[in-house]
Amino acid sequence: MPLTNDALWYKDAIIYQVHVRTFHDSNGDGIGDFPGLVQKLDYLQELKINAIWLMPFFPSPLRDDGYDIADYHSVHPSYGTLEDFRELLDAAHERGIRVIIEMVLNHTSDQHPWFQEARSSRNNPRRDWYVWSDTDERYKGTRIIFIDTEASNWAWDPISKSFYWHRFFSHQPDLNYDNPAVREQMWEVMKFWLDMGVDGFRLDAIPYLVEREGTNCENLPETHSILKDLRRKLDEQFTGRMLLAEANQWPADLRPYFGDGDEFHMAFHFPLMPRMFMGLKLEDRKPITEILQQTPEIPASCQWCIFLRNHDELTLEMVTDMERDYMYDMYAETKTMRLNLGIRRRLAPLLNNDRRRIELMNGMLMSFPGTPIIYYGDEIGMGDNINLGDRNGVRTPMQWSGGWNAGFSVAEPQRLYAPLIQDPVYGYAAVNVISQRESEHSLLRWMQRIITVRRSSDVFGRGSIEFLYPANHRILAYLRRLGKETVLVVNNLSSTAQAVELDLRRYKGNILIEMFGNNIFPRVGDLPYLLTLGPYQFYWFRLRRV
Amino acid sequence: MREMIVSELSQALHELARAFAHYLPRLIVMLILAFVGWAIAYVVKVVLRSILRLIKFDKLSENAGASQLLIKASLPSATEVLSRFVFWVAWLGFILLGVSVLGILGLQEQIARFFLFLPRLFVAMFILFFGLLAASYFSRAVLLAAVNANMPSPRVLSLAVRSIIVVFVFSIVFEELGVAEQTMLVAFGIAFGALMFGLAIAFGIGGRDLAQRFLEEKFVRRKNEENEDELSPL
Amino acid sequence: MEDETFLTDDFLRQLINVGEVDLLVGLPTYNNAKTIGSIVGTIRSGILRDFPRERAVIINADGGSRDGTPGLVTGISIDDLRPTANLNALRTLHSISTTYTNGTGSGVALRTILAAAELLRAKACIVMSPESAKIEPEWISRLLRPIFRDGFDLVLPTYRRHKFDGLLMTNLLYPMVRALYGLRIREPYVTEFGFSNRLGSQFLAQNGWHNGNGGVGLELRFTLAAISGRYRISQSFLGEKEHTERRAADLVPTLRQTVGALFSALESDFPIWSTVAGSKQVPTTGPEQELLEGPMRVNRKRLREMFSTGVAELESVFQAILSPSTVGELQRIARLGEEEFRYSEELWVKTLYEFAAAYQRSVINRDHIIQALAPLFRGRVFTFLMENRNASANEIENNIESLCLEFERLKPYLLQMWKSRE
Repeated sequence: MPLTNDALWYKDAIIYQVHVRTFHDSNGDGIGDFPGLVQKLDYLQELKINAIWLMPFFPSPLRDDGYDIADYHSVHPSYGTLEDFRELLDAAHERGIRVIIEMVLNHTSDQHPWFQEARSSRNNPRRDWYVWSDTDERYKGTRIIFIDTEASNWAWDPISKSFYWHRFFSHQPDLNYDNPAVREQMWEVMKFWLDMGVDGFRLDAIPYLVEREGTNCENLPETHSILKDLRRKLDEQFTGRMLLAEANQWPADLRPYFGDGDEFHMAFHFPLMPRMFMGLKLEDRKPITEILQQTPEIPASCQWCIFLRNHDELTLEMVTDMERDYMYDMYAETKTMRLNLGIRRRLAPLLNNDRRRIELMNGMLMSFPGTPIIYYGDEIGMGDNINLGDRNGVRTPMQWSGGWNAGFSVAEPQRLYAPLIQDPVYGYAAVNVISQRESEHSLLRWMQRIITVRRSSDVFGRGSIEFLYPANHRILAYLRRLGKETVLVVNNLSSTAQAVELDLRRYKGNILIEMFGNNIFPRVGDLPYLLTLGPYQFYWFRLRRV
Repeated sequence: MREMIVSELSQALHELARAFAHYLPRLIVMLILAFVGWAIAYVVKVVLRSILRLIKFDKLSENAGASQLLIKASLPSATEVLSRFVFWVAWLGFILLGVSVLGILGLQEQIARFFLFLPRLFVAMFILFFGLLAASYFSRAVLLAAVNANMPSPRVLSLAVRSIIVVFVFSIVFEELGVAEQTMLVAFGIAFGALMFGLAIAFGIGGRDLAQRFLEEKFVRRKNEENEDELSPL
Repeated sequence: MEDETFLTDDFLRQLINVGEVDLLVGLPTYNNAKTIGSIVGTIRSGILRDFPRERAVIINADGGSRDGTPGLVTGISIDDLRPTANLNALRTLHSISTTYTNGTGSGVALRTILAAAELLRAKACIVMSPESAKIEPEWISRLLRPIFRDGFDLVLPTYRRHKFDGLLMTNLLYPMVRALYGLRIREPYVTEFGFSNRLGSQFLAQNGWHNGNGGVGLELRFTLAAISGRYRISQSFLGEKEHTERRAADLVPTLRQTVGALFSALESDFPIWSTVAGSKQVPTTGPEQELLEGPMRVNRKRLREMFSTGVAELESVFQAILSPSTVGELQRIARLGEEEFRYSEELWVKTLYEFAAAYQRSVINRDHIIQALAPLFRGRVFTFLMENRNASANEIENNIESLCLEFERLKPYLLQMWKSRE
């Protein structure tokens, strides 16, 4: 099945987020690699996803899980060679799967040759590629992102005896985007991968490209013009490629990153995700509807990226203090689960392995406006290991079978890059792809079904959203519309059965067709439409006028 | 001569015996009726007493103020009084029934009239009792309301109300008993009309100033005085 | 139970939409548009501040206001349909209103609130008064915390008020309830209080709502029901009690709701209060009572006059109710001048106990008995004012305490009169 020739393919995408290292090991060294991933592409095709987003695979000292890049034009030897990557691209495209890779523009590893040169002396030609200062007083007041480990945004370089700027770990010095050479070089890096056939980039940490005194050094206009420039070059030289912004900001602050359709194609909607969990616990739709009400309109060609969990902690930066305390108390009772103003747990453990809640959250994910991202392993309900330090608890090997090393690798278990989950509830003996494939009612089969239903209509990816506000605040109901097609989504956020009356007067005369079973439900009349839902149940209805 | 006396006497005795023999069965019937009547009346009295006790008739009569009257008259409680009264009436009724069997002509008529009269008597007593009850209740209600509203002469008002009601009740009772019906009616009408007319004159013409002051006191002054200087009890 | 239909369909539908809640605030209203706006605003602040995570609802039982009161109450609800971004509320807060038509007696309002609390399975409820213009946000938690945290069933308020305010409470209700029921409850007649769902459900089920007295005096009966049901009772200091305007004509209805309710409860509660001796403290948060000193304009002369007039005019009534010695005493003091007049504590206690006994025996119509008490109460108020006109708050407290002890001391007298009837 070849790729569709659609410039807006990303609006219909179902993205699977995966790290090569965690997926499948083909050469028995205990670390996942590209050939291993290629071997599992059939599984992904079966899952009906049509895009994968690969975590960073560049050569790197791996002190920040690969986001500290030491060479932009190669792949880490543990994962294979550049040729292996090209093979992956071809194999994925053959199966109709697009490939999105990471691109870290803001900083490099301190092991990158550029930095090695820059720090060697103050007169080095590359000196200006990074941001240096004799004191650590500049850009005072800029917030520290990794507050659990870093105390300052300046780090002292003993070699050139000056401070260098780093918004993340101290071993990740920021590139200086005021230097045109840097800007040119980074486009050249992107072009390298685009020429190879990569379909899109997730640009990491883009609010922080440019610093200016007297500001918070985030979202500055200079940053935007650099990004617009990149986009322009992209549109000029390539077709059907996509830029995805990673910017953990309020939606109103994110809006500029779409420009007028001349900057990013997509951006993550970070504030929505914690509110979905909050609404579930409160059994109240208010946090969810409010954040979506406050989400600004974006250009027609642009799209939000929505997700439940990812490789990072469940971030609670974009919530009030009271809401954060509530989320901590509800979802992360023990302090070790908390990290950097977030919660480092996977989807299933967060929801107490409650199948109904997992389904409901995925149901909302698949029916909200935006492109959904599935984090690898969440489709089978994998668990986490919070004792693995930093955010590695959610990055354990994919569990393919109940056998040796969960089918991840033939190596000795001690050689694996990370230990497997082994407890009786989430361990690979209980949770794995093969047994879920066999079982008709497994989470995996259910995920395949819901993705199929989602992809059966464009209304989810491309349609508008209009909230209904039934008096029962435990029910989240909305209409998705695209042209003549209308879908009604009703979610019960409560753990108890609920009755709700919906005002569907405008759709009087329509028959409701439930989209999973395709059974017809009563026609809309003059009276409010009464629905009853079991705990955590949801409905998707197609409205059909016969 | 002696023979004549004897024969007259024996004839008279015969007459007597005959009359006696003629009336004896009826007498016996009358005695039986009296006896049976006594038994039935007794049962009725007991049943009535239980019923009255059940509906707490004593309390009702206490409220009417009737109990106090009874106590003053050294009579037992209202329940007792009523039960005994019914007993006597019932027994009397049976005795009279027996007497009527005797067939004494003039008596029968009277007895029939007595029985016709009885229901009206009961109704009249009923009206009297509850009328007095109402009079007592309303007069006391007016008394309390007047005192609490700081109106002048509350007792006079109370007595007036009681009088009016009592007069009204009595006039109805007399009408019911058929005693001087028309007279009572007319008398009541005259008295009531006169009272109303008098009040109208007093308020309308003669006592204009007094009425004005009275109304002022009632509405204007009270408002001023009361809206200030009054504590909140709760 | 007949009358299931006393909740309207529309209200029931609103209750369905609210669903289960943790706490419920009941608000009976009737034409309170002047004060209700700020009161519900304060209630909302209290909930958001002290119970941000709890599911809450405000239930307004309105008696048919024509000044837009219900709209003001429902207007403060928090939901996503009308976003209020600056409120920082975690949850939806429902504020719903229903209008009852059968009489503005507060009995129906309370019954509506109790029914709603039971249907919504609220763990704790409070009833607030629509006249408390001096309410503060803390009041909500002060009434609710003891229920949530400490498992109490009834939380009664105590107030700061002027030393001459609320004399019916300090001279009659408080000492009498204390002496008879054995608990030192400062405000047994409540317009704002907190209760647990246990107590609420039981009161709803057991209380004869069709007693014919139309729910009069429910406020007091609620307290007495809690005492006789041996529920855990506590008191919380709230703040300043709003001084509402009252007219002289309001005294009799007030007496009906308070003393009338108390007297009628004594009959059914006899097994409970007859065995109690002395009185116990009730767990209290904050001071039991705060008295504000300062002048207050009172027409004392009129009080005294109404007392004397009453004693004179109602002689026949008093003779039916009171003992001859009491009647004689009252007539004696009625003839005294203003300076010598003194309605002593002992006489007052005897008066009340004899009234209670007469009420139980129904010597005359019971409502008339209550009405007859009004002039006597005024006399007692006069004495209290005279005796305490220069007293400090402490001294007044002591005087009230000695009055209470007098009630307790003479309790056997009441029992004697009571038993003599049996």
